[in-house]
Amino acid sequence: MTTRDDNVVTRSLAQIGACGLFLVTLLRAIPRSMRHGRETIRQIWFVGAMSLTIVMTCGLFVGMVLGLQLYDVLSIFGGTSATGTVVAIAIYRELGPVVTALLFAGRAGTSVTAEIGLMRATDQLDAMEMMAVDPVAYVAAPRFLAGVVALPLLAIVFCAMGVFGGHLVGVTWLGIDNGTFWSNMTAAVDVHKDIIDGVLLKSIAFGIVVSLIAVFQGYTTPPTSEGVAYATTRTVVASSIAILALDFVLTSFLI
Amino acid sequence: MTQRRSYAVGTGLFIVLGFAALAYLATQTTSVANTTRGDTYDVTTRFANVGQLKVRAPVKVAGVRVGSVESIDLVPGKEEARVTLAIDESHKDIPQDSVATIYTSGLLGDQYVGIQFGQSKTPVKAGGEIGLTRPAQQLEEMIGKFFGGGSAPDRLGGTYHVTGDFTNIGGLQAGAAVKMAGVPIGSVESVVVKPGAVQATVTLAIDKRYSQIPNDSSAAVFTSGLIGSQYVAIQPGGSPEYLSEGDQFVLTQSALQLEDLIGKFLVNGSPSDNKNGGAQGGTQPDNAGKK
Repeated sequence: MTTRDDNVVTRSLAQIGACGLFLVTLLRAIPRSMRHGRETIRQIWFVGAMSLTIVMTCGLFVGMVLGLQLYDVLSIFGGTSATGTVVAIAIYRELGPVVTALLFAGRAGTSVTAEIGLMRATDQLDAMEMMAVDPVAYVAAPRFLAGVVALPLLAIVFCAMGVFGGHLVGVTWLGIDNGTFWSNMTAAVDVHKDIIDGVLLKSIAFGIVVSLIAVFQGYTTPPTSEGVAYATTRTVVASSIAILALDFVLTSFLI
Repeated sequence: MTQRRSYAVGTGLFIVLGFAALAYLATQTTSVANTTRGDTYDVTTRFANVGQLKVRAPVKVAGVRVGSVESIDLVPGKEEARVTLAIDESHKDIPQDSVATIYTSGLLGDQYVGIQFGQSKTPVKAGGEIGLTRPAQQLEEMIGKFFGGGSAPDRLGGTYHVTGDFTNIGGLQAGAAVKMAGVPIGSVESVVVKPGAVQATVTLAIDKRYSQIPNDSSAAVFTSGLIGSQYVAIQPGGSPEYLSEGDQFVLTQSALQLEDLIGKFLVNGSPSDNKNGGAQGGTQPDNAGKK
């Protein structure tokens, strides 16, 4: 490992390199982790189902505020009937995957890092190795897999709630015609470009990145309480930067 | 173990909810929702102009979707579009003499085919044709109508022709309205630059009903509103003689260019004087020497 004397560039490079190597270890451990299927399901429950409340609430409000803002701006051009279209496209292509990934990093990524970090600090991972239980296969891989499975599902729920929120504000409150709202949306939104490429592909990529960062930070944390605290912070910071940078790269490829 | 069972149930619920939401998004909020379900029958229509109508655009009766546009192609050898409509089997009762119109939903919305029922008792058959159609309204034409272009009077009473020379006609085009006191009295017949001349010669066709226009009247190119089309306005003079066929306007005022106006505001003078002919004599740059 690197020491504190190295400069910031070397340390960042070493972190990225170690993270990449950890991903290889993790992927190799996935077949072995299938023996612990119940553990994976428990983790999906913990990082996915338990995050539903925050994701659904945020999705609803994001959709509502988008509807409100777009109605206000589009009314300048007399184009309020396009509100539904723009809400749906904005949420599917950008806000759904990105905001869900950010929420996921804050809600689930941190707790994964803290949990694994504490296992490291309290020598539980070493104890597993002593008992011939591979900690990568039993602890790291199920959490990683759970994140990759849960984030796309959460993003889709976020999108559905967002469209519902946009409908709530646009149609129920501001009085856009219900038929116009839906027919303009269905005319403009494309399954392949917006749902598959927009929501699914992006959120799977974000799921891989966020889960990897969370598990990696926990697994390699210095075994002190200070180390766990730093690792948790780094998970949020690194995930957020990675999500937004990757979003730009993915969008430029997909668009 | 019971605790584990509850995890499994909760996780299952979460995954099912996720996939249900995916199915909802993919089928209800995207163009998949527009693909017709069930059997359809084809009806052809012919339009003079389909505008921006696209394949899979909805077909509506009284605003309710009854089918979709199956194909759009050109009638061979004619300037006409043949639009095939796939209408759901459940709507077999569309009268033969119905009218098909291309509408736009909202100002920015997509176009769709609307069908207004006729009086006939015989429904249109599968593979049949709806003969009565109205083409897509072009926004340009509608704006033209609002701002004067299209409101030129018909020429049933005959017209007489008067010409005028303009230094600059701006965006004036043949077909633009000629107005006096805001009332359309004719239209611009042609805009040409005669060989060797530096000025544009505009020929106005004025309705014979308005034959009493003094021959010292002036003609000016005006713009209706900021984005409106341009028209020729005639300001009557005081002469007892009237204009007649082939006469020419002595006084003309060219189109005001927005750039020139802004230039005037900014530098308190027209930016250049070589554009100004006699007609714009009043706008000689008074600061040309000071620069």
